[in-house]
Amino acid sequence: MTEQDASTHATETPVMQASAPRPRSSVAFSARDLLNVAIFAVIYFVIVFAIAMLGIIGPLMMLLTLPLSAIAAGIPYMLFLTRVRHAGMVTLFGVVVGLLYLMMGHPWQSTLVTIALSLVGELILWAGQYRSKWAAIWAYTAFSGWFIGPWIPLFLDREAYLRTQGMEQMGAEYVAAFNEVVTVPAILGLWVATLVCGFLGAVLGTALLRKHFRKAGLA
Amino acid sequence: MTGRPGLDPRTKIVLVIVVSALVMSPGGLLFVPAALALAAGLAAWEGAWGRVGGLIATAAVMWLLGWILPLLWVNPFTAVLSLACTYLIRFVAAIGVGMHLIATTSPTKLSAALRAWRMPRAIAVTLAVMMRFFPVVAGEAAAVLDAMRLRGLVGAGGLVRHPILSLERFTVPMIAASLRASDDLSASAILRGLGARRTPTTLDPPRFGIADLTLTLTAAVLATASLTLPSPLA
Repeated sequence: MTEQDASTHATETPVMQASAPRPRSSVAFSARDLLNVAIFAVIYFVIVFAIAMLGIIGPLMMLLTLPLSAIAAGIPYMLFLTRVRHAGMVTLFGVVVGLLYLMMGHPWQSTLVTIALSLVGELILWAGQYRSKWAAIWAYTAFSGWFIGPWIPLFLDREAYLRTQGMEQMGAEYVAAFNEVVTVPAILGLWVATLVCGFLGAVLGTALLRKHFRKAGLA
Repeated sequence: MTGRPGLDPRTKIVLVIVVSALVMSPGGLLFVPAALALAAGLAAWEGAWGRVGGLIATAAVMWLLGWILPLLWVNPFTAVLSLACTYLIRFVAAIGVGMHLIATTSPTKLSAALRAWRMPRAIAVTLAVMMRFFPVVAGEAAAVLDAMRLRGLVGAGGLVRHPILSLERFTVPMIAASLRASDDLSASAILRGLGARRTPTTLDPPRFGIADLTLTLTAAVLATASLTLPSPLA
């Protein structure tokens, strides 16, 4: 199904000639590629949401489940990356997952962030020639930054939220204090925490690939 | 799909995007009551009474916690809870409209609609296949959770004590089972010409009909009402 295109070698510059066969740089998807993107996008989404559902138990659980879903979702994503052999698949994954978030009530800003970050992941993988383990780990780390998405409207419209009924009742002093807490450093902190969890998820996913999926012949 | 003439999938997609753009942008609370009404109306029209009840109940709880409770009981906890509910009620509205699209659009209809929009083949095919895989993967996830429950592995306690082990016990069997189930689906999809370069013809092309016109007008009326009438939430 995937045949090495001989004509790409003719157009290569001498500088870029590597000893290993280079992956196809075309964005032609085979049917198998599209099916792989679709099945892993659904698995990724279901895992993120199954773990987010656990968060409904209580507020303490909510704090725990957000990092947990970033870690857990690393497992299917790393398995997906073992099946990525050429450019475009990771971007496509980001586009379809982002559109799915939109259907599931995520803010539209979340969709745009997801697509942008998957492009970043694509660049990292491309730099690693779609063969490098560490490029895959960093690509998932970058992609997991989308978990900031659902919070974006809260930061864009902070004034409106500080005017809500509960805040009004507490008085101006409390609102001012709260406003101090929910500032740019807090947002950046949240984002960094998410990225760290993404990195852990990528490492865990790589370890589980070795432990389970290689044995079962799935990776 | 019911026997009634359904909406054009394109109308539903545009509706979801418009609702998300209005509700999630700054000042979006203005549009939340209208979006909730629209979501409940759509769910009632397709006959999903469970979803109608769920939407109304969730929105009512959020309204009570977000707008009424702080008036009765003033402390920092209710203030934060109120903030959370005023934020989350937007998600309830957006999810309600999105659920209608997911529940009433078959993969075939979706791919026909996306083709009519000249959507790139890769995106259109992948989205349609995802629609088809969704119930399969959700079923596998539920089955794995049931098996874990039988062995007493589900629960907050276990998750707090061994978070990574719990994740592994849930995700690994679920992924393996889903991939096994997807192999048959993939084979049948390729047999039916998925990934072929030729554009398939549509037996039942998507058309903008009376239902779509009604929905568009209703949405326009609701949006205008949100802008002109005093809002109960803002």
